[in-house]
Amino acid sequence: MGFFIKYLLSILIFFPLASAVLLLFINKKNEGILRYLSTFLSLVEFIFSIYLFVYFKPDTYKFQFVEKFHWIPSFGASYYLGIDGVSLFLILLTTLLTFISLISSYRYIREHVKEFVILMLLLETFMVGTFVSLDVLLFYLFWEFMLVPMYFIIGMWGTGKKVYAAVKFFLYTLSGSLMMLFGFIYIYILHYEQTGNFTFNIVKLYNTHIPIGLQIILFIALFLGFAVKIPLFPFHTWLPDAHTEAPTAGSVILAGVLLKFGIYGFFRFAIPLLPSATYVLAPAIIILGVIGIIYGAFVSVVQKDLKRLIAFSSVSHMGFIVLGLFAMSAISVDGSVLQLLNHGISTGALFLFAGMLYERTHTRQIADFGGIAKKAPILTTLFLISVLASIGLPGLNGFVGEFLILIGSFHNYTVLTIIATIGIIFAAIYMLRMFQKVMFQDITNPEMENFEDMNLREIVTVLPLILLMFFIGFYPMPFLSRIDPTVLHFISMVSHHDTIYNIIKLKTGLSNV
Amino acid sequence: MYNLSSMYSMGLLEKGILSIIPEIVIVIFAFIVLFLTFFEKLSKSKNPYYLSIIGIGFSIVYVLMLSGRTISGFYGEIGFNRFDVFFFIVILLSGLFTVLMSKDVMENFEMPLPEYYSLILFGILAMMILIASNSLIMVFLSIEFLSITAYILTGYLKGNRRSTEAALKYFVLGSFASAFLVFGAVFIYAATGHLNLYNIHHFLSLISHGDMIRYGGIKTYLAIGLILFLVGLAFKMSLFPFHAWTPDAYEGASTPITSFMATGVKVAAFAIFLRVYFLIYSSNIMNFNDILWIIAILSMTFGNIAALLSPNIKRLMAYSSIAQAGYILIGIIGGGYYGYSGTLFYLLAYIFMTAGAFAIVIIFENLDLISLDIKRYSGIGYKYPFVAASMSIFLLSLAGIPMTSGFMGKFYVLSSAVKSGYNFLVVIALLNSAFAAFYYIRIISNMYMPSKKSADIELSNKNGSFGIIGGKVSGELMFTVIVCLIFTILMGVYPQVFINFANNSVNSLWRI
Repeated sequence: MGFFIKYLLSILIFFPLASAVLLLFINKKNEGILRYLSTFLSLVEFIFSIYLFVYFKPDTYKFQFVEKFHWIPSFGASYYLGIDGVSLFLILLTTLLTFISLISSYRYIREHVKEFVILMLLLETFMVGTFVSLDVLLFYLFWEFMLVPMYFIIGMWGTGKKVYAAVKFFLYTLSGSLMMLFGFIYIYILHYEQTGNFTFNIVKLYNTHIPIGLQIILFIALFLGFAVKIPLFPFHTWLPDAHTEAPTAGSVILAGVLLKFGIYGFFRFAIPLLPSATYVLAPAIIILGVIGIIYGAFVSVVQKDLKRLIAFSSVSHMGFIVLGLFAMSAISVDGSVLQLLNHGISTGALFLFAGMLYERTHTRQIADFGGIAKKAPILTTLFLISVLASIGLPGLNGFVGEFLILIGSFHNYTVLTIIATIGIIFAAIYMLRMFQKVMFQDITNPEMENFEDMNLREIVTVLPLILLMFFIGFYPMPFLSRIDPTVLHFISMVSHHDTIYNIIKLKTGLSNV
Repeated sequence: MYNLSSMYSMGLLEKGILSIIPEIVIVIFAFIVLFLTFFEKLSKSKNPYYLSIIGIGFSIVYVLMLSGRTISGFYGEIGFNRFDVFFFIVILLSGLFTVLMSKDVMENFEMPLPEYYSLILFGILAMMILIASNSLIMVFLSIEFLSITAYILTGYLKGNRRSTEAALKYFVLGSFASAFLVFGAVFIYAATGHLNLYNIHHFLSLISHGDMIRYGGIKTYLAIGLILFLVGLAFKMSLFPFHAWTPDAYEGASTPITSFMATGVKVAAFAIFLRVYFLIYSSNIMNFNDILWIIAILSMTFGNIAALLSPNIKRLMAYSSIAQAGYILIGIIGGGYYGYSGTLFYLLAYIFMTAGAFAIVIIFENLDLISLDIKRYSGIGYKYPFVAASMSIFLLSLAGIPMTSGFMGKFYVLSSAVKSGYNFLVVIALLNSAFAAFYYIRIISNMYMPSKKSADIELSNKNGSFGIIGGKVSGELMFTVIVCLIFTILMGVYPQVFINFANNSVNSLWRI
């Protein structure tokens, strides 16, 4: 057991990879075995990740479960893993959502099952790896390779213009990532010039002294990589296509986990590495975030396609998270991190429901639905809960996160926070209108007459998410208490630079600008 | 190492011979293979093929046995040190892959075999001498030798119009390049009075700035000479303005030879350019990096744009190799220990991914289902799962996606360029590699995500094998693919061993 706990992070990374290799040797025709075995293995992975939660010490900001081995001494890169309160929950979210999306795809994925389950497990390896690496090169390796399985998932099992969506997703994210790579290389070389040592250890790189002008340029480089992933307002155009055309499982993972990497990247890398630039650019980024909130909400109102609507609502929600993160108060960052989980849970659930509707009716157009409530009461109830969670109804998870974000950022960015609140109102408009059109009204489409309610497997698929919505909504303490120390440390690390930045600002007369 | 005492010491001839043992082995086997022509029975059999492999194998063994020594032979014209060991291994591997790939292709074309294999061996020999050469004359002679074998091999498919056209084009343009090379060498000789690279280096490091100005011509002559010399070598490296032969020659030649030119010839040209650059160009004559980085940017950009527009896989690979040459050049521009080591690493990574990709192109060619048109690749991902997956990995590696050697190589050379302050160049290189990813990804999309029309083709082919290794692929090609695949992934995941190898050989460059 000691060994297990000590190398838990490595096990979490490599277990899905080993599972994928195992599945490689199973005959492609045994689709049943492939499905059940992959689901079982991802469940095992999720149970492993629960150990992480159990053995996590909540009262410290220090990295836990640390593993460090030499990897490429010539570059100063090491196999350096560790988690804190933020990555803990993101890993749990990843393993849970992978498990859920594997169960959810029993009906949706009919062709090439073997390739699908292998790619999903491979994707899990890289997602977990990205969250646990504390070495920049290792992080980048996991970060960028993650695109490949996702690209295949969208392109091979998607609908409509799937190849276009897959290639667009790949190229957008890749271009951003490559600019980010430039930023990382520059900081790496800068650190080398200052200390004479090559290192990719993020904790050591935090101590690099970078003049403020350079910080801004480097921040923009890193920003391009992370903002595309979030996606922040002008960089969001890949998202609706990718989300709409992806299979359900792909959408769930994309919305639930992949979008979180952008925020996580800012939290772990961009902001602590370049704190002064963060303070200079924060207002601009928050403005982009708020534009994203409003724009996402407005565009969602007019969407005719169910999945596209959820995709644009994601743009809006991610805007809130950006607002909270860059407002830089302890409460708002807390809220942002919690909202990361909430968004993964509620949007994941919404995509699952969209998938269920699509599997039954083979349409995603909102106008084609109607009157489902009479035929499928369970689905309606659970769907309603997810919709309300997404809107941010008190008592459900979305409320806690959004509330913390708004309270936290009100002090620093009063006007923008007020504008952002409009987004919540619009969320209620577009979500409830969509729900009403899909579930209530009279049945106009004869196909809806034979609508089946959810079966046991589908209930099992969404039930963990529904329970989490209530749990976080009523009692977020277990989550917040673990996130808090990390966030406080983050704030203290950055605001130390805040004072320096203010001095520079006074001296150079930047305050007049 | 060149100094008087070692030159006139005992055992001069022995030393000379010792320094070229790997080459001698290749020569012997090349002639043995060639003599098989006289015996009709033997020449029709597979003997030439096996003999070539044995020859290359022996040569590798000798290189490994000699590695660690520093020998200078033939009055300092030929050197052997760790730098050469690295490149010998790279060239011999490239040659080995070429021979392995050739077997099936040559049987299909029914061409005389012994001459073909002996020409490949002579080509390898020429490259090895080129890498080992320490003087301008040797460089010129071995490049000519190499070019002649390459011309013949390009046009080897007798009666094939494209092949003949390619050979002619290659020959005409190649002659121009050789003229530039020899002209450059003459200017360098005129300026310095030495032919030996180390002597020139010595001369340039001793001569003071004042002397340079006093003997007016030296600086101008050297600058002209070096630029002309660069043109000659850039032709072989297929860098932008001197690339015109590349797409035609690559397309016209039989695919193993294309692979040979893309890996072997290019690596050899880079090896000698690296040596000459280190010894002469980096002296304080003029800032050649200003020329080089423009060439690098143009090569990358042009190569990628042209590759995007070409529907033929071999042409696409040709243009992509121009772009790759641009990336490799960045390592040399970045310079220093770190940059040269990065260049070597990239070159090693490059031969594995390129040879692997060409091996798969041959597999598809041989199976006779798919022409070289990329559109015909649609849906084969399901019919040949292993081959298509390997192809995807090679293409991702060429695109520079992590977990593959291509990423590590790119990272290495780009960080060396950042270290030397070429930030602008690095940003352009990165944008280029995002752009390049598009056409590599397009091939993968074709293989795995067929559009509806071509889905019919896939369905009609559905009776193919579903095993890991699909279809009737010869063992040699599969072996090449697997070796390349292992190294491509290994160099991407755990590159330290290969970095050490590169570092060691760069070290010996410094120990003049």
